[in-house]
Amino acid sequence: MAFTRRNVWNLGGDWADPILWYARGVAAMKAKTLAEPISWRFYGAIHGFNSQLWQRVGYYDPSEKMPGAPDVKRFWLQCQHGSWYFLPWHRGYLLAFEQNIRAAIKDMKGAPKDWALPYWNYFKPNQNQLPPAFASPDWPDGKGNNPLYVKQRYGPDDNGKVYVPMDEVNLKAMDDPDFTGVASGGSPGFGGVDTGFEHGGPVHGRLERQPHDQVHVLVGGGTRQDPGLMSDPRIAGLDPIFYLHHANIDRLWQVWRQNPPAHVDPPQDNWKKGPGNTGQRVFSMPLPDGTAWDYTPGDVADLSKLGYNYDDLSPATAAMQPADRLMRLGANAEVVKAAKGVRAVATGKNVELLGANQGALKITGSEASTSVKLDQGVRNKVAANLNLAKAAGIAEAAIAPDRVFLNLENVRGFSDATALKVYIDLPAGAKPADHPERLAGSVSLFGASKASMADDEHAGKGLTLVLEITDIVDALHLSNKLNMDSLDVRIVPRRPVPKDAEVSIGRVSIFRQGR
Amino acid sequence: MTPAARERWHVRTPVLLVSVAAWIVFAIEPGNMALPAHCPAAMAGMTDFSAAVDMLLARPLSATMGWGLMLAAMMAPLLIAPVRHIHDRSFACRRERAIALFAAGYAAIWMPAGVVLLILALVIGMGAPGSWVLMVVVTIFALVWQFSPIKQSCLNRCHAHPELAAFGLAADLDALRFGLKHGIWCVGSCWALMLLPLLIWRGHLAAMAVVTLLLLSERLDSPAPARWRWRGPGKAVRIAVAQTRMQLQRS
Repeated sequence: MAFTRRNVWNLGGDWADPILWYARGVAAMKAKTLAEPISWRFYGAIHGFNSQLWQRVGYYDPSEKMPGAPDVKRFWLQCQHGSWYFLPWHRGYLLAFEQNIRAAIKDMKGAPKDWALPYWNYFKPNQNQLPPAFASPDWPDGKGNNPLYVKQRYGPDDNGKVYVPMDEVNLKAMDDPDFTGVASGGSPGFGGVDTGFEHGGPVHGRLERQPHDQVHVLVGGGTRQDPGLMSDPRIAGLDPIFYLHHANIDRLWQVWRQNPPAHVDPPQDNWKKGPGNTGQRVFSMPLPDGTAWDYTPGDVADLSKLGYNYDDLSPATAAMQPADRLMRLGANAEVVKAAKGVRAVATGKNVELLGANQGALKITGSEASTSVKLDQGVRNKVAANLNLAKAAGIAEAAIAPDRVFLNLENVRGFSDATALKVYIDLPAGAKPADHPERLAGSVSLFGASKASMADDEHAGKGLTLVLEITDIVDALHLSNKLNMDSLDVRIVPRRPVPKDAEVSIGRVSIFRQGR
Repeated sequence: MTPAARERWHVRTPVLLVSVAAWIVFAIEPGNMALPAHCPAAMAGMTDFSAAVDMLLARPLSATMGWGLMLAAMMAPLLIAPVRHIHDRSFACRRERAIALFAAGYAAIWMPAGVVLLILALVIGMGAPGSWVLMVVVTIFALVWQFSPIKQSCLNRCHAHPELAAFGLAADLDALRFGLKHGIWCVGSCWALMLLPLLIWRGHLAAMAVVTLLLLSERLDSPAPARWRWRGPGKAVRIAVAQTRMQLQRS
């Protein structure tokens, strides 16, 4: 049977059949107890679980019966973040979840056999609002008990109005030529860094960081004391909008893959066969027939083989081509012509520190700033490398000029809903909003609370947020301003950060990656 | 090989070579360089504590080298992750210097800790020379520590990677401070297991190897809440079996 995932805004009504059947399936799953492997909360715990946090948001009572230890050990706390398994693990999670929804509704009159999850493409014009079926406590089957409605969904301004502000999200990750990258300061790659089984690594892949993480916290909102479900990975799987968001992220993976030979999944066995192949935990999902489905990234990489497709896989953005950058940097016409049509060129292997600030930066209130001192030698290396584009022959055009990345290292804090805009080299006294050309990007603290605890999986290291600032550095270089000793970095939170959120950035650094 | 795997390899290889070199010296010169030459088991026949200490102090350089070599052999593989952190987050021109300072800080904790462990082993060894009952008691004590919440707390902090200053004296001090802190948590985590090889005369090298594998295995596990729990080589064994299976399938 073929399954098509469709845009939730184009289904033909707020409560069109696919969304109404989704709600009925969710209601059936919610009616089951935590101890049942195909219950709503059990599936939420597969993504993440923390007894105190679950209690605080009202989804767990310590007196209730827990699942058996073997089930907990096999299924719970599996979500892969900060890992090249992020995309395939979540794909398997969605596939198993859909099977459960179909099983939950199959005996209801008129239920479609080919039901598939809709996706929420917040990038489409006028589709960045929360789909209406999720926003009201009422639904066609009842008053005040809409299973898709969640009280703890506070939105980007923490006022219950849920939407995705378009100035906070972007699709720059779609341009990344490499699926996997490094955790050492350079590009972590489109899909994340090569890790083992990783239930929360510190460096997220580019698609995971933006838009995935960003949409999570913008939709969830909330505070340290009262977090939105979507804002924290330990409770995110409890919100029904989670699955539509992830269907969109999964769709973006499919879109990215449409540009071979540059945009391809990792060929390594360690990725295709998953962490189970190297003696680590196996990805495993409980199914409605009582069995468990063990899967690997290789099993789910080709969606069409699984009978799935999306109704829209059109390119997400007009991506900047390598030839465009060479032209911008002054390469001669012959080189630019040779580079035309090349979808992407390999990123250089050398990653090295270019500069760093001194001392930790606390984020409170509505702004924070620091100065990143640059090493003269490495800065000259970057400038010389960018100048090479002018003198490059056709052979050299196959090697990408340096890329430059801003790293916010050891980011700790206890309000995952914090979203930050990061600006580079703003003129003194300038309003950040007046200088979009200086915006390095938006980042969020999705997963930071868990990463800030010394006795948890991250050992209190916090997160390391990586932003590509190649365009800004190119602009500085072309206007002869790169010859500076330091770069100012200004951090502007979307909402003022309270002191009790304890948000801090251990170090702000800049890395070059290239020849 | 992925970019991240390539970077791991670049750090892992020289660090492991240091360890292998130390093991080779042990294997070639066990009588002169290895710790048993000075260890309590070697002094098992002595009954006078001060005479034993005198014997130890009479060859301080040799004893220091022996302990340093033992550390290099057993602990270097545990330092791959922190050394990678320093390597990745330092300027390319300062990497070697920063790693050396980290190692100096780390050794500054472990070297005096070694003196304490040696004296402790000396006292235990002289109390009941060659007694298997004593070995069992010490082993049980080491296992209790191994499964304790304190051990887990120390182990968790061995996984911490602090922010490091990049320039000048501040960078040097941060690298040194990281080494000192890492050394403290490493001693807290490993001291009880490190005591065991010091008490074993016959099969000393084998005991060192077993303890090294156990220490290495437990570092493969992710940090976890501090509570009583089994901490064994399970994950390492599963990985080793899987890797062997993969190699066999390839050949």
